[in-house]
Amino acid sequence: MDIVPQLIANSIIAGSIYTILALGFNLIFSTAKFIDMGYGVLTAVCGYGVFFLSSKLGFSLAFSIPVALLVSGLVSFSAYKLIYRPLRARKASGAILLIASLGVLFFLQAILAIIFTSQFQGLSSILTSNQTLELWGGTMTELQVITTGIALVLSLIVLIFLKGSRFGKAIIAISDDEEVSKIIGIDTDNLIGIVFFIGGIIGGLGGILIGLDTGIEPTMGLPWFLSAASAAIIGGIGNVYAGIAGAFFLAFVENFGIWKVAGEWRLTIVFVVLLVFLTWRPQGMFPR
Amino acid sequence: MEPDAQGNGSSVAKTAIWLVILVLIVGGLIVYGNKGKEKKEEVVKEPIKIGVILPLTGDAASYGEGARNVYQIAADEINVAGGVSGRMLEFIIEDSKCNGKDATSAAQKLVNVDKVQVILGGFCSGESIAATPVAAEAKVTLFSPGSSSPDLTGISPYFFRNYPSDASQGKALADTAIAKGWKKVALIQEQTDYALGVYKAFAEAFEGAGGVIVKEETSTANSDFRSQLTKLKAAKADALFVDTQTPAMSERIFKQIQDLKWSPAIIINDATAGDVKVISTYKTLLEGALTAEFSADPNNAQFAKLTADYKTKFGAELPFQAYGQTEYDAVYMIKAAIEAVGYNGEKIAAWSRTVIDWKGASGSVTIGTNGDRVGGHTVEVVKGGKIEKYQ
Repeated sequence: MDIVPQLIANSIIAGSIYTILALGFNLIFSTAKFIDMGYGVLTAVCGYGVFFLSSKLGFSLAFSIPVALLVSGLVSFSAYKLIYRPLRARKASGAILLIASLGVLFFLQAILAIIFTSQFQGLSSILTSNQTLELWGGTMTELQVITTGIALVLSLIVLIFLKGSRFGKAIIAISDDEEVSKIIGIDTDNLIGIVFFIGGIIGGLGGILIGLDTGIEPTMGLPWFLSAASAAIIGGIGNVYAGIAGAFFLAFVENFGIWKVAGEWRLTIVFVVLLVFLTWRPQGMFPR
Repeated sequence: MEPDAQGNGSSVAKTAIWLVILVLIVGGLIVYGNKGKEKKEEVVKEPIKIGVILPLTGDAASYGEGARNVYQIAADEINVAGGVSGRMLEFIIEDSKCNGKDATSAAQKLVNVDKVQVILGGFCSGESIAATPVAAEAKVTLFSPGSSSPDLTGISPYFFRNYPSDASQGKALADTAIAKGWKKVALIQEQTDYALGVYKAFAEAFEGAGGVIVKEETSTANSDFRSQLTKLKAAKADALFVDTQTPAMSERIFKQIQDLKWSPAIIINDATAGDVKVISTYKTLLEGALTAEFSADPNNAQFAKLTADYKTKFGAELPFQAYGQTEYDAVYMIKAAIEAVGYNGEKIAAWSRTVIDWKGASGSVTIGTNGDRVGGHTVEVVKGGKIEKYQ
């Protein structure tokens, strides 16, 4: 049996999730200019939101997904308003903001563990049907196909929105130079707040899709954050388009990397690739 | 000059406040410490403290909760009937999270702060392997009712267990696989001491008989096994051995096996087989799956009483019955030990090696000189979402 088609399918599945997570990560990084580790925990916040509303209270997915996304966006927005904005106003360095965001991650993770226990929860039982489809010699479930679709559509929306709207242009301006943007009359504080809100929704969406496919646990935030950040760095940190390329590159390296060597080397392969990029090509896959 | 003087004044005040706080803390500690001493002298019949280490958070928490409930049932029974030599049993429970690091700090806390002479646990093999040196150093007995790694056999005179080693689990499964005519087995192993122990025992017997094993390892933090499973599927083995530490991990793997439209013959270890819910959820995939457990005997009167009591007290079936029986016995064995030789870690450890044909919920218990329970696993098969004896 030829396993290449299946490895490609596996890479696409992983790459789609990385794409979604890297999009939100890059949006936040490009404006706020610090590595927001708290972003990772939003996957768990939103996943548990859906779990609570659908599995515990019995609401339909059509209701619980938007509500959970909203909650995740608000949590991200509040983290900015209550913690990062005051720190930024005091000209705190990126390292301090990074540590503060790590605090946010562990704080929210602990709260989730207290409320929902730290046991692993599969969300797949919420789905009424999730057929496995055979595509060109590989298999993917319906949900995984939908996830891939969402990743592509979401990337397109973000790209169009950045290029086409006034708001998007303001974000690009901030990412170029925050001080100058302020001088020409952009309300940077508010705008960054909105970016955190949108980033929270995107991260949460990733969390829901992960939950429906594999499952959720309070500690899922850090590993998924690392994947998103690695994808973003490999593509070119802060560059929203390059993040998509980085996500798929990472997914393919990861899944094809363990074809000939044993699977326990997967994380080693990922971080070797990351170190190679950080050392020799810190600007990422594309020229600046 | 004024600001300077003010500065001096406030720093003097600050120093004074800190001094007062220091005096209060030190004084408080002395008074409190004395109080403890007085108490000890006054009350002769204070409770006997038993340290307990088990996983209460993480994927393995499902084992820990069941174990805690079973311990409580046994201790309540003992205390209602008058305790151990007139003293009540009291547990001091620590969360060891199914890893060596947390088990070590839990054992250190129990040994140094609570000064216990006996620790019940760990549950996961990795916990017991890490906690044994701590207990041995302090001459405290470590008594595990669930750790089954062969690496624990003869690890220390202070360690013993009333659950048999996985050497017998691996061998029983390998013998059955060979009898079924399987030549090649694909195996996915979680990187923990327990799962490694099962693999080693299985590999020794299976490869010894000329079988081939294609193995992939995965870390506990991993949740994407697709490409590893794709590789194992391509190996065209006669069966797939899912060798994990917890049912939660197996659940994730089972889901992804189904997503790959793969329906291999499956072997599972006793960690997964004990989870009634997972076995029934994946009953189509697991139909005909082989496993080997240290099975409980439903006709044993004490075991029947335990399952009934568990249901009335906690409103649920006794989970992981194979472990429940030994956990229940463990508390009674500690009672027997203390009554025989007193509350002393060194003497209890020595006592454990003299246990022959002790009757409990798990049947007749005999502990060998290597600290292992004599006895073993029986092969079982999954049929219609339930576990049955393999014929």
